[in-house]
Amino acid sequence: MVNLQNVCFGYTNGKPVIDNLSINIEDGAYLSVIGENGSGKSTLIKLILGFYKPSAGKISIETDRIGYVSQRIGNFNNKFPITIYELLYCHLRAIKCSDKNQILLALNMVGMESYRNKLIGNLSGGQIQRIFIAKALLGNPQLLIFDEIFTGVDEKTQIEINDILTKINKEGITILAVDHNLNNVYKNSSHILKLINGRGIIYNKETFMDKEASYASI
Amino acid sequence: MLQYSFMRNALVAASLVSLLCPLIGTFVVLKKYSMLGDTLSHTSFAGIALGIAFGFNPILSAFIFTAFAGIIIELLRSKYEKYEELIMVIVLTLGVGIGITMVSSGTVSTNIDSYLFGSILTVSKNDLYTIFVLSIISIITIFFLYHKLIYITFDEEGAQVSGLNVKLINYIFMVLVSATVSVSLRIMGILVISSMIAVPVATSLQLNKSFKYTLYFFCNIWFYRYNFRFNSFIIFKCSTWGPNSSCINICINHSYNNKRDCIIYD
Repeated sequence: MVNLQNVCFGYTNGKPVIDNLSINIEDGAYLSVIGENGSGKSTLIKLILGFYKPSAGKISIETDRIGYVSQRIGNFNNKFPITIYELLYCHLRAIKCSDKNQILLALNMVGMESYRNKLIGNLSGGQIQRIFIAKALLGNPQLLIFDEIFTGVDEKTQIEINDILTKINKEGITILAVDHNLNNVYKNSSHILKLINGRGIIYNKETFMDKEASYASI
Repeated sequence: MLQYSFMRNALVAASLVSLLCPLIGTFVVLKKYSMLGDTLSHTSFAGIALGIAFGFNPILSAFIFTAFAGIIIELLRSKYEKYEELIMVIVLTLGVGIGITMVSSGTVSTNIDSYLFGSILTVSKNDLYTIFVLSIISIITIFFLYHKLIYITFDEEGAQVSGLNVKLINYIFMVLVSATVSVSLRIMGILVISSMIAVPVATSLQLNKSFKYTLYFFCNIWFYRYNFRFNSFIIFKCSTWGPNSSCINICINHSYNNKRDCIIYD
């Protein structure tokens, strides 16, 4: 689904944030990206999304149907006068999809159907993340990218959102998620990418769990 | 009253502006660019001065100059991320500087005061044609970009990932704001335009309704103000009537606003 070959990237005149990284994310995989602050997790996501261009190497993505959820809470204008339905409809128009039923289906999937006429600012942090996940699900995406979506979300909501993500992944959608919570990583992922100073090591779930003790400090 | 051509010109021009200002103003305020109107209106001072000095239509030259300034603001926004106000101050200073230099050099012979403070009764046929063409093109463009503009205003990053050409739409938006400022110049004057774009949005935002309703309410405020209070405008020749009545509206709406839930949207 996503293939990175010898990708390098650095911000202006600094040391490389991503250093000769090569990974291959297979169809239907759930890849969690972990690493310390500044290890290049968000930069990697932005490279894959095309916000930045790699200084060397090649990134190829098999699909253009990508859903993206970033770390929103506290980041967006919660006084913006927009209803959930309006927001999802604008997204639907942007991805050139005309099937309005998808809005209700996506909201139903995240358990937020009854909130469709509420203003976005009237929702709690966890509810907002669900809405953004629903937005990412519009247009039948093949690849979902999540960047630290659990920041500021309580434990109970994290479990609920995790269940939704597992359900989505079981339907064959490839997921790439940056996460700091190792419990979530163990529970959801099929593969784990650990970034250290821009270089990566990929583990499958079993080998990573064997080394659990040595990674407890991540 | 309408047998006088200057009255008819004033009514048509005011009606067009009353449609365009809310359409653009809602996006301007929600993008947190409230100072953009002020910057571009002050920049238009240079455009008017250049137009008068070289014998062009001042509204058209103001539009070209403010559109150029708007594009510079958008261009620099990516370089000075999170410091948009700084760019606006720089561009505002540039515009006012060129304008003052032109006026004090003596090349601008016409009384420029009518552009500074606005003069609804002096809208000429030529001005009206320019206002008409710019307004209609702008309204049609907003109609086609409506959902894209909402999405970009709310979540620029998300809009970019969904495949929208955010940069191009932002440049078009800047040109639209420039057009709005230029068509409003003759009626409201350089010094008042920004409040006309921003203050009524403050009123409609108090309602805490959906985007569609906010825009609709804003349009209504404008339409009533311009067309039902038209006589008051002319009698008092008072451009500041608008912001004052908006302040009253805010107070009324604030006391009225008890519910936060929005209307059913489908």
